Amino acid sequence: MAWDELLRFLRGPMFYAALVFFLFGMFFRLFRVVLLGWQRDRVPSKGSKIGGVVITYLKSILILPFIPWVKLTFNKNALTYVAGGVFHLSLFGIIFFGAPHMLVWKSILGFGWPTLPAPYVDWLAAIGIISLVALLINRLVHPVLKKITRTADWFNWTIVFLPFITGYVMSRHLWFEYQAAFSLHMIAVDLLLIWIPLSRISHFMLYFFSRTIHGAQFGKRAVTP
Amino acid sequence: MNAESAVSANVVETGKAKSTRSETAVNALIRETGGWVASQLEACTRCGLCADGCHYYQATGEPSYSPVWKIEILRRAYEQRFTLGGRLRLAVGLEKPITDEDLEHWSKIVFEACTVCNKCSLVCPMGIDLGPIIHRVRGALTAAGVTPKDLHDAVQKQIEIGSPLGLTLDRYQERLEWITDEWEVDIPMNKKGADTLVAFTSIEMMKFPSTIAAIATILNKAGENWTISTKGREMVNFGFFEGSDEHTRLFLSRLFDAAKELGVKRIMVSECGHAYDALRWTAANLVQVPKGLTVTHIIAVMTDYIRSGRIKLKKGAYDNGTITFHDACKIQRRGSHIKEPREILKMLAPNSFKELTPNREQSICCGGGGGVISIKEADPLRFAAFGLKMDQMNKIGAKTVCMVCSNCLLQFNDGLDYYKSDIKARSLSDLVSKAME
Repeated sequence: MAWDELLRFLRGPMFYAALVFFLFGMFFRLFRVVLLGWQRDRVPSKGSKIGGVVITYLKSILILPFIPWVKLTFNKNALTYVAGGVFHLSLFGIIFFGAPHMLVWKSILGFGWPTLPAPYVDWLAAIGIISLVALLINRLVHPVLKKITRTADWFNWTIVFLPFITGYVMSRHLWFEYQAAFSLHMIAVDLLLIWIPLSRISHFMLYFFSRTIHGAQFGKRAVTP
Repeated sequence: MNAESAVSANVVETGKAKSTRSETAVNALIRETGGWVASQLEACTRCGLCADGCHYYQATGEPSYSPVWKIEILRRAYEQRFTLGGRLRLAVGLEKPITDEDLEHWSKIVFEACTVCNKCSLVCPMGIDLGPIIHRVRGALTAAGVTPKDLHDAVQKQIEIGSPLGLTLDRYQERLEWITDEWEVDIPMNKKGADTLVAFTSIEMMKFPSTIAAIATILNKAGENWTISTKGREMVNFGFFEGSDEHTRLFLSRLFDAAKELGVKRIMVSECGHAYDALRWTAANLVQVPKGLTVTHIIAVMTDYIRSGRIKLKKGAYDNGTITFHDACKIQRRGSHIKEPREILKMLAPNSFKELTPNREQSICCGGGGGVISIKEADPLRFAAFGLKMDQMNKIGAKTVCMVCSNCLLQFNDGLDYYKSDIKARSLSDLVSKAME
């Protein structure tokens, strides 16, 4: 009974409040960097800036996360490449092609799309969880990561991990009764939405800045980005 | 009242006196943080992959050489001034303000353990343009007066004498006369109405006169209407090494003034990388480039001559023993002259030219660029990084390695000596000049 009410709150008002906070937060982050001022690049281009941008997106989204050995740095840190790449695949697979998630999108956007069968999504989640654990261990032992990791990075990991593990527990009907597991999942999701604009998880938006700059700078110089 | 305000003024002053340097640095760092830098700083996910792009990290395994750590000081300055979280962390003591010791630490890592080669930006999954950001960190540290002494002295020499190696105008002219005699080559000076202004670097003047003779020979053979200028005689820009916009402008304008005075159409950079980056890819954002003036590099000019038949090469002139090419960070990765040297080498050594791995824009830096070679204290580090280059050359059994950057060439000569190797390092212009029909 109590779980029911809590769940209704977490899925309803709390979820929308978190969503609004997320959107406002991200707009704030966006405007802050946009309004900081951008110097015009007066250097005459040799190649095409737009061409460089197109190539860098194609390479970075479609190819490089999965075959990074072209840069010859793969062997030195294979775990970050593989676990990082697999984690993002798992994440996008679940939030766009998991049936319950698609229904959330549908309720917001007004249209839906075909989804993956539930067992596949469970497998994706399991892979995501394993890669997150691998990345955590890597962060604990890798000398560079040990040096650069701060409190916020541990928070980031935890807050990303929670929706995964609670979602998996809920979907597989492990340990908790369904309503309780669902409530825990919603707490984790609401927390994540609130935390994203406050943290580096916002890189999904700022990525488009750095990648565009990268492509334009290499394109300007007529070098393959 | 008066006494009180005097006391508080004193406190503020002593407080200021203690931290003037770090304050100057933080202010300079903040000034550099436009949207261009801020958006990239915020995009960083702190994954640490950039470390594997850095030759200094690869050679030593020292985590503070990872590029992400090199820009950490800028991140701290930016967040502590601009972001809510940063200010909060500073207020509750989760993060410390930037101190003078921090400046010393970052001065060591960004000047001695970074050549601004920008390989890291190719490794970064977010594509953050780390090299130029580190360049800005250098600038802020220079503003605060914590540039390594050797580099600082070289800049002063370039300001006062006109050459970072202290080559006076008299010595410069003597040396040119000697080159003219020794190699029997004509070097036109201060020729009004020439098309191309050429300037050499002090490294070439002092250590590689044969490169100067080679470039002059090629230009003369092709019938180029060129000149050097006593006013703009130094190609290298040590202000660009220290990241100081003010000094970069000063040295750039010496060349541009000379170009204007002589009425040339273009400036040709000799075998120098950083100068090419400064003149071709940075100048327009710092100074008014004379209208219609273009900047080119000897490798582009040489290739044009060959393609158009103005000079002809003996095919297979260097087909005796494996020869390879080192891609310089500023001329190839950041200058795009990647195809040209290969086109030439496939003529000069069609059977014995072999690539190093990695190569082209993915090449690993020689370890001596970005001013590192001028800092004595950085010697152990630059030799350690050169070990990577040694491995690459040994892997293909190279007998000769050539390049189009004199700074790289100096590093290769020192490095090959250090590792007691028999491999010969050559300037590509030198090879071309000796293989002309």
